[in-house]
Amino acid sequence: MAKRELAGPATLILSSLAEGAKHGWALTKDVEDFAGVRLAPGTLYEALNRLEGLGLIEALPSDDRRRPYRLTAAGASALGEHLARERRVVDVGLSRLSEKWGAA
Amino acid sequence: MSRAEKRAIWLLRCYPRAWRERYGAEFTELLLADIAERPRSWSRAFDVARSGAAARLGLGGGIHVGARLAVVVSAGSAFVVLGTAVWAQLAIGWQWSRPSAPATSAAIVAMSCLLAVLAALAAVGAVPVLWAIARRLDRHIAGPFALFLLGAVISVLGAWHFAGVWPGTGGHPWPHQQLLPGHVAALAWAGTLSVTSYWAHPGALLGFPPDELLWMAASPIALVAAVAGGARTIRRLDLSPRVLRFELVLARLACGAMTLFVAAVCCWIASGGTGPRNLFNAGSIDGVAVAAMTGALLIARRARADARAALTQ
Repeated sequence: MAKRELAGPATLILSSLAEGAKHGWALTKDVEDFAGVRLAPGTLYEALNRLEGLGLIEALPSDDRRRPYRLTAAGASALGEHLARERRVVDVGLSRLSEKWGAA
Repeated sequence: MSRAEKRAIWLLRCYPRAWRERYGAEFTELLLADIAERPRSWSRAFDVARSGAAARLGLGGGIHVGARLAVVVSAGSAFVVLGTAVWAQLAIGWQWSRPSAPATSAAIVAMSCLLAVLAALAAVGAVPVLWAIARRLDRHIAGPFALFLLGAVISVLGAWHFAGVWPGTGGHPWPHQQLLPGHVAALAWAGTLSVTSYWAHPGALLGFPPDELLWMAASPIALVAAVAGGARTIRRLDLSPRVLRFELVLARLACGAMTLFVAAVCCWIASGGTGPRNLFNAGSIDGVAVAAMTGALLIARRARADARAALTQ
């Protein structure tokens, strides 16, 4: 998995879907709640389209016009790897801040 | 229909038909919810317009390998047209006199070789595509392929006709000055006659023969038709993974050749080898061409990398 595939909104979307299947508007509100970022409609669907093409999420059948998406096993694995990498960076950054600047 | 629905449908038109068929209903629902919360938002309109344009160019969203290959072909074709236009003026200069600066000579020879490499890669890459077309020539493929053929035939026949007034020979048989067979250079010059700074000097344009002016205006349309038809054919062909892998290897080589070509053009411009008789002077249009070629190269590289990543999933 190329690292840049999970850059930007992709991580936010996958993290949101890790909780369970959601449609576009539910995803927008959830991401806004936990990350403080409002994903614009075009950006959201560009990312959904890409993630679906990569097999990281899949669309579920729906009776109404709002189609929900859920994380696939490949998506869960890719998100786990990506977040583990990010956590290493966060840990190193916080530890160095604490050592050098006395703040964390 | 409410105003919000009208606005959502209007925004949805930014996307290509295939995208609308797949995501249209759910995307409209999202837009309606967003419009209800933020009735007026320029950032939303801009975001949708940008994302729609990316989808139309095959740059955004899901990765359809054939579509990315079509982007590589389109960007590569634009690069070759511009590169040929730049190179043809230098080939004319060489016809009259050899460059006095060694770096300019080396750059022109390198550009000639690299254009030959790009032509060879295009020819090799076309073989499996033509084979796939021959095996699956239905109405879905025939339309764009006919557009490609029409544009290509007009481009070649027009270039062939106007190559007769190639200023490289000036009517004088000086074969010893040729960098390469004269008719090849003449075809390249005539085929890219529209790429010229004369458009910025309408007064000078009036001195051109009317049929030449007509060709300068019509040839870009023929070239765009050929490239658009070719790209759409590739998108619709649904090439096998094996063929796609082969094409992407060729695309990688082509990107390398294009990078070297840009370096050679920069070498010529930086060498300042204008002489003799100002034959190899670099004008502002050459700077514009380098910028446009670099843009086309970056688009081709990005599309190739995306396609490769999707193929190796």
